[in-house]
Amino acid sequence: MPKCKKSEGQAIDYASKLLSTAEAASFEQHLKNCSECKEAVESFTTLLNLTDMAEQEVALPDAALRDIEMNVYKRLAATQQDESLFSRVRGYFANIESLFRWHKTAAASTIVIAMITAAVLVGELFQPEVGLQLTESQSADARMEEYLQQDIQRHLDDAMITHHLRNDAWETESHLHRVQEQAQGTNWMKVPQTLSVSNTIKTAATGY
Amino acid sequence: MDKLIDDEMLVAQFQAGRQNAFDELMKRYKSKIFSYLLRSVRNYEDAEDITIEVFFKAYRALEHWQPKAKFSTWLYKIAANLVIDYHRAKARHPVYALEDMEIPEANLVATDQYSNPVKELEEKERGRIIREAVDQLSPKQKAVFILNRYEGLQLKEVAETLGMAEGTVKIHLHRAMKRLQTMLHSLWENNEI
Repeated sequence: MPKCKKSEGQAIDYASKLLSTAEAASFEQHLKNCSECKEAVESFTTLLNLTDMAEQEVALPDAALRDIEMNVYKRLAATQQDESLFSRVRGYFANIESLFRWHKTAAASTIVIAMITAAVLVGELFQPEVGLQLTESQSADARMEEYLQQDIQRHLDDAMITHHLRNDAWETESHLHRVQEQAQGTNWMKVPQTLSVSNTIKTAATGY
Repeated sequence: MDKLIDDEMLVAQFQAGRQNAFDELMKRYKSKIFSYLLRSVRNYEDAEDITIEVFFKAYRALEHWQPKAKFSTWLYKIAANLVIDYHRAKARHPVYALEDMEIPEANLVATDQYSNPVKELEEKERGRIIREAVDQLSPKQKAVFILNRYEGLQLKEVAETLGMAEGTVKIHLHRAMKRLQTMLHSLWENNEI
């Protein structure tokens, strides 16, 4: 027996009342001449009746249905309370966090201050000896001149002490003092040649 | 159509601040949602808990709800998603319960002189077998079958609820029917059900 060209799905749709009025009418015409489809429709209709009956036997408990509204509102109230508590706890932790942030700022500031202090102290420890102090504003020539003056001064001091230790004449010493006084703040080379300075002292003073 | 307008009006009233409108919506749909969930999870307590969860979620989301679909379809959608979550959780943590404890049946006592306790027992057994057959469908087939057959949703509404194309819904429905027929046909041919 050849199988019907109509799909089994159409029998299901007809039994389930899913076909439109026109489709149902057309299919009913087909059923008059197709025992195969008629049988399929009967089978699915029986199936649906059975499943419908089986589900109708399941009773809905009145108590559960009665309590649903109340339980929904209880659940909402509990959640709002939880959220309120949560927001309070979150606020508390936010405060702690802000406090911690303040502490972090304080800690960072302390570290920076400590580092600056340490740098200052270390800087002082490793500061070069104060001897030749030059300022940035001075030109290279002025620096050279100042260095020379200071160097001359140092050598004159040494020469004077040496001369004193050699027990030279007081006149020479006082003469050296005068040279020294004149040399201060002036260019040594500009010291008047009228001043008679012994070659020894002069050599010792210039160091060259 | 009136129902659609009514539901939308109630939602609008709720959105405007009238809390009683939600009570009315719950009153209108709690039985339908509960029965859908009971058929889906086959456990009274779980069905009740999920029904509460459905309305809880609906309450919290209703403020921003837009009437793109029917309110009932939206509600069923929430329920269907919770059923999926329920079955996933149950698959991860299976709970073995006695079948008789899942859906308590009425005591088999003759209520009047015309009642037949034996026949009642047979009918209940038949109902249990059929429900078991429905439960053996795939989750999608079962969801489509329940929503269309028992909840009376149109195929388009079932499609919206389950997030499927209408054609896919029809395919699942056909497969469900054929499978049920295969499982139960021999039983009713032999008058066992």
